[in-house]
Amino acid sequence: MELNDAEDEEFGFSRNYFLAKELGGSAVKSTRKLSDINIVDEQELRAAVSNIEPKHEKEIIDLINRYKSLYPRWAFDLRCGLGLLMYGFGSKKTLLEDFASTSLTEYSVFVINGYLPTINIKQVLISLAEVLWDQLKTKQRTPSKSLAKGQQPFSSRSMDDLLAFLDGSEDRTNEFLVCVIIHNIDGPGLRDSETQQYLSRVASCSNIRMVASIDHVNAPLLWDKKMVHTQFNWCWYHVPTFAPYKIEGTFFPLILAHGNTTQTAKNAVIVLQSLTPNAQGVFKILAEYQLSHSEEEGMPIDNLFTTCRERFLVGSRPMLNSHLTEFKDHELVKTRRHSDGQDCLYIPITSEALEKLLVEMTQ
Amino acid sequence: MAPSSSSASSGDSSTPDTTQNHLQHSFVLHKASEKLNSSGKARRRIDLSLTKPDGKKESDESCLRKEAFQLVWSRIESTIKDVLRNMNAHVFNHIRSWVWDSFNAIKPFPTSCLGPFPFVSQATCTQLFTGLLLTNNMEFVDDILTFQELGLSLKSHGCHVANLSSSDFSSKNGISGCLTSLFRHFLMPTFDAADMSIFASWYSQQGNYGYPVVVIIDNMEQCCGAVLSDFILMLSEWVVKIPVILIMGVATTLDAPRNILPSNALQKLCPCKFTLGSPAERMDAVVEAALVRQCSGFAVGHKVAVFLRNYFLNQDGTLTSFVRALKIACVQHFSTEPLSFLLGWLLVKEDSKGVQSEEVVKLASELLSFARNQMAEQSDVKIAPGLTELTRLQKLWSTVVLCLYEAGKCNKTQLLDLYCEALDPDTSNSLASDSRTAIGKGFVQSLSSDHCMLEQNLSYRKGRLICQLVCRVRDLPASLLCQLLNSWENLTVDVLEIHDKVKELQSILKFEEGSCKPDLIEISRRRTSRSPLKIGESQSVNEKAAILMDCMVRDFMKPIECTPFHEIVCFRNVENLQSALIGDSRKMIQVDLLEFHKTLQCSCCRRSGNIPLPSMPDTSIMYTLAQEHGDLINLHDWFQSFKTIVIQYNRKGTCKLKKSPLKKRKERNESENKSEAFIQARFCRAITELQITGLVRMPSKKRRDCVQRVAFGL
Repeated sequence: MELNDAEDEEFGFSRNYFLAKELGGSAVKSTRKLSDINIVDEQELRAAVSNIEPKHEKEIIDLINRYKSLYPRWAFDLRCGLGLLMYGFGSKKTLLEDFASTSLTEYSVFVINGYLPTINIKQVLISLAEVLWDQLKTKQRTPSKSLAKGQQPFSSRSMDDLLAFLDGSEDRTNEFLVCVIIHNIDGPGLRDSETQQYLSRVASCSNIRMVASIDHVNAPLLWDKKMVHTQFNWCWYHVPTFAPYKIEGTFFPLILAHGNTTQTAKNAVIVLQSLTPNAQGVFKILAEYQLSHSEEEGMPIDNLFTTCRERFLVGSRPMLNSHLTEFKDHELVKTRRHSDGQDCLYIPITSEALEKLLVEMTQ
Repeated sequence: MAPSSSSASSGDSSTPDTTQNHLQHSFVLHKASEKLNSSGKARRRIDLSLTKPDGKKESDESCLRKEAFQLVWSRIESTIKDVLRNMNAHVFNHIRSWVWDSFNAIKPFPTSCLGPFPFVSQATCTQLFTGLLLTNNMEFVDDILTFQELGLSLKSHGCHVANLSSSDFSSKNGISGCLTSLFRHFLMPTFDAADMSIFASWYSQQGNYGYPVVVIIDNMEQCCGAVLSDFILMLSEWVVKIPVILIMGVATTLDAPRNILPSNALQKLCPCKFTLGSPAERMDAVVEAALVRQCSGFAVGHKVAVFLRNYFLNQDGTLTSFVRALKIACVQHFSTEPLSFLLGWLLVKEDSKGVQSEEVVKLASELLSFARNQMAEQSDVKIAPGLTELTRLQKLWSTVVLCLYEAGKCNKTQLLDLYCEALDPDTSNSLASDSRTAIGKGFVQSLSSDHCMLEQNLSYRKGRLICQLVCRVRDLPASLLCQLLNSWENLTVDVLEIHDKVKELQSILKFEEGSCKPDLIEISRRRTSRSPLKIGESQSVNEKAAILMDCMVRDFMKPIECTPFHEIVCFRNVENLQSALIGDSRKMIQVDLLEFHKTLQCSCCRRSGNIPLPSMPDTSIMYTLAQEHGDLINLHDWFQSFKTIVIQYNRKGTCKLKKSPLKKRKERNESENKSEAFIQARFCRAITELQITGLVRMPSKKRRDCVQRVAFGL
């Protein structure tokens, strides 16, 4: 019986796939363009997006209330050493944070916003180590174990040292102290295997429990058997909330506003806000140069480096390059060849938008 | 890189902080409340902690259950570890003596000739003794523990041990990566330069010198070949100063090193082979210790057992996943069954056997009164005797299952299969109906009853594993039967009724064997197969053993689900377990979108079938529409069909207005414009949400007007 079911399922899957492929062939004939739609003004569109009225509000509230009755079970699972993995359609950000504020008050709760495209795992682990350290200090109430003078501060430790600290090599009480919530552990900034390895090692630390949410259909492919069975120790819960992905969706371009400049400027603000002040400073120099030399192809890299060093924003070329890589990744900055042969940098945003952006940055 | 704030401390979603929190990489939602900090020390274990059980607070009860879980699970976990350790003990001993033999063969130079670089006097000195540990298992995850245990076992015998994993030998970090992780095990953590001479001087220090340095690489086939060969060459150059002995885990065959290492590195190895037990053997041993012998008192129902078996066989195939499934079952039992904390009481009671400490007895009675308060309406139910009876029946059950397993050992019966069948309440019911026939009335009659009846009886349950095992006992040759009875004798020590019968059978067998010469048993057995007279005689003992087995099954093997109070110790909710263990996110997200009204329980969208209704969530409408497209969806078409559906709704909403025609037209124009913007906004957001779930892929530069569908069918 079971075998038959599985075969049927497989057959259904392949049939669907090939049907879709066939349809795909005919769909190519539909050559209507996106531009045929009378797309409204970008600003109006954005205003409308932020004012979309929710549907089924009552039912959604009822649904969330039903999940609230599961909180004690979830807390119990965590105390027993399991990790929680929440999946299902809808943003689970509010649900998870509400669960933590209601049922996990006796533990410190540390939230990681995995949906941010620029998330930096090392920075996150440093903050986590600080939180855990705080917790251990208050628990032991003995100053003797405070960071010994010989020991480096967390911010200058290597990844391995940080993980070794988190794993409580000094304190093996196995007591659950800090709960780490990761919104979108499958987020675009956390999707590489190295980051997932780090996260799995964090999850297996004795004083830490993990609650995470996934939204992408392929998320389970991020983990191998070792991570799933011995480190994350997931206990899956299907909790569709049907809540809009308001914050998670901010970092995706609107499909009907693609390539529009104001949209890029808006995105640029969001990306820039999540960068360090120094990185913001570098961007500002570039932007100011572009505004004052609007007829030029862009700013030569050497020129940018000298100015940045004068203003103490970067100390070395690699440092500048790391900022530039981040800008390039988010399409804030592009390179083109100057007429005299050297590479120069420019921001692919119109002057008016750029001016506005500078104002917003300084606010 | 945003500076992550660790000071933002607010769980209130209405503060302005929250918007900032959304854009931060990480933030602290709240710090641990003082309550915990003051009672920072965790409550003591169940045997001492319960001071006031009548404070019927929910938190108290859940605390009790958590403690009971910890008691039970730590018992199961340690049992499993012990079982695995015992299985490996033999191999580990071998390895240990080989390590010391090899070390003596290397004989490192005395400390005095420590120079900048080791000089090599003989070519043979540079050979690296290498143990290849065949794990017999492609699933490496099951062997992580084995290698840790091996390291600990060698450490406890004086060796310097470094456990390295295949990830240390990545091409990204190169040779310095693996040397750094190697030195991490011996030198100060602050040390950063990967220099072998520092390692050599470490070895020459007082206390380090004179012991072998064992480097364990858990999964050599996953290592980067070039890095591993560099590592081997470097170690072999230094082996005269640092007597390194290498142990590498190999999942496939002995050819593995030849496949990944170049010949110059291979030449440096002086290999020796060791083999671990097979995964099937391990599985049987774990099932026996954790589930059949019930080290902790925790049990699972038949359906759960079948699910666990299928999960092991079809889904994952690793012992680790099986253990994890068992753990989740255990957690769920304690989190959902209110009286499950009594299991903790059972364990405590068992532990105190013979000691009878007053404290424990008091605690037990307190727990029971607490339990009684819990089920106030049935206060007359006597839990304590019920539980004791339950334990007794469980012991009998496991004895019989182990006897059956012994009988099946010679033809490799899997214990897991037998376990599932023995838990089946239907087996017990069919046996109960059988017992109305003349056969199952009791031992004395059974033993003397005619074997034709037995055969007839067994035929009712033809094809079943237990039945086959009973039949097989009849055909056992004398020597094996003798072995079987001996093992039964050991297993049934606690069950007098069976034990006596086994003894009886043994004496009959001995008497029969005594009639032929003891050292000629083999010959006599061969003869029995020809002589009809002998067959009759030996059959009678076999027959009796088979009948005994049958009676044991019938009278003592009562599945747990057929005993009263089993809910306290037995987990049966297979659906919960399945959903917690295997979350099918790919399917469920699509189900959420296509059949959302089932989850939301809304009345307005129920009747739709496959036709999208305007009242549905936008993303649901879009995904339902997408089902009609091929693998590419034309955005324009998609938008138009979305608009058609949504507009139905808008029209319904606006047609009631009655105003002058001119004003009406103007307003209509405005509102149309506005509604157009809203429709486009909703379309955009729905696509973004589908993109977040990974159900559509964004337009490529080549096909700007199409998105790609990713999932086909549930």
